[in-house]
Amino acid sequence: MLVQPSERDVTIRLVVNDRAHQFDVDAGETLLGALRERLGLTGPKEACYEGECGACTVLVDGGPVASCILAAGSMSGRAVRTVEGLARAAELTTLQQAFVRHAAVQCGYCTPGVLMVLTALLDEVPDPCESDIRRALAGNICRCTGYQQIVEAALDAAASVQP
Amino acid sequence: MQFCRVRSVAEAVDELSRWGTEGRILAGGTDVMPQYLRGEQSPAALIDISGIDGLQGISEVGGVTSIGALVTMRRLATASLVQLRYPALAQAAALVGAWQTQTVATLGGNICSAAATADTLPALLVADAQLMLVSKSGRRRVSLEELLEGPGVTALRPTELLRAVEVEPLGERGAEGYVKVSRRSAMDLAVVGLALRLSVTPSGVISGVRIALCGGARAAHRVPTAESLLLGSQLSGDIDVFGAVGEELARAVGPAVSPEAHYRRRVLRGLFDRLARRCTAQIPGASG
Repeated sequence: MLVQPSERDVTIRLVVNDRAHQFDVDAGETLLGALRERLGLTGPKEACYEGECGACTVLVDGGPVASCILAAGSMSGRAVRTVEGLARAAELTTLQQAFVRHAAVQCGYCTPGVLMVLTALLDEVPDPCESDIRRALAGNICRCTGYQQIVEAALDAAASVQP
Repeated sequence: MQFCRVRSVAEAVDELSRWGTEGRILAGGTDVMPQYLRGEQSPAALIDISGIDGLQGISEVGGVTSIGALVTMRRLATASLVQLRYPALAQAAALVGAWQTQTVATLGGNICSAAATADTLPALLVADAQLMLVSKSGRRRVSLEELLEGPGVTALRPTELLRAVEVEPLGERGAEGYVKVSRRSAMDLAVVGLALRLSVTPSGVISGVRIALCGGARAAHRVPTAESLLLGSQLSGDIDVFGAVGEELARAVGPAVSPEAHYRRRVLRGLFDRLARRCTAQIPGASG
């Protein structure tokens, strides 16, 4: 259960996908629970629920985190970005477009987390090599693709924004 | 459970003295939250210190570096000061969990949780880490060696907060590193982790040695018997010495009572050899 109603509330103020929010969360509530159940952002997925698989990855102040083990109560003042916050005005990001071109999505459950980690990587290292990409993805488990198409999509995305 | 968000060290120690053993400090939460979610821990209060700005910095005063308890693994792995003067610590931090873990996991958390597998602890032990503790009744300074009493057990009092860690930088004619063996290359705990710091005289004699281990049945610890084997050696292809040190390290991790312990002993010799060669190759004129 993501929200445990018997607990005491704590009020948080944070920015999610460029919109300011203020709401109460329970003391033991996770950021993933708050995003999915209070804000209706179901892009980040619940899978292992112990910070091992990366399906719940979102960016907090630009850095990837496992939102399933992050306390929502400590998120005041932070800026969170979920997969819903990547595309602007219905236009997919370069990375998302590359995912489509390379069929880097199969069942899709890991995809939101993978996109967030790779978005953080491309922000930090605009021209990553294959091993940079694989190292960045070390905390994201995908049981469908074997990672190959994901890596190719990331390389392609990096190449298509280079001058 | 209550969620107490504190903004300063003074507020934190107030809450700690109020809750005592019923309170649990929350920093990055990568240990505390999974334990709580699995029902292994049910504190009356989570004392969230992640918003205390005064615990975030890395500073240098009089040749000693002070690292705030809230400095994250990602910052340790990427800060040039740490990479340059505490390379073992930077390497260890880069091996904690995955990027998602490193974004939020803190040095203070790794120390205070004191897991037997905590990667940064051997690196801190070879840098002679001193811990700055604060409580409502005052401050004290404890060496990391004194703090670690067993796996998951520390000499930290329930009312104390770890404020910062002071570490001693690598000397000019020195080298250090951290290596780890785990089953999966990310998100996995160390089967064994090994840190080595060497100082060498201009004539190539090893004048300082610190070796520390994690991943065994004990908390991270130094291995003085292995260190003394290396001390005073001439660094000119002293391969036999490396072999003897590896043997001593294997003895130090205890008897092969389980398949994992057996594997740990086997792998340590090669691991030490690899790390020692990597370190000595970095010392100018000492690789001959």
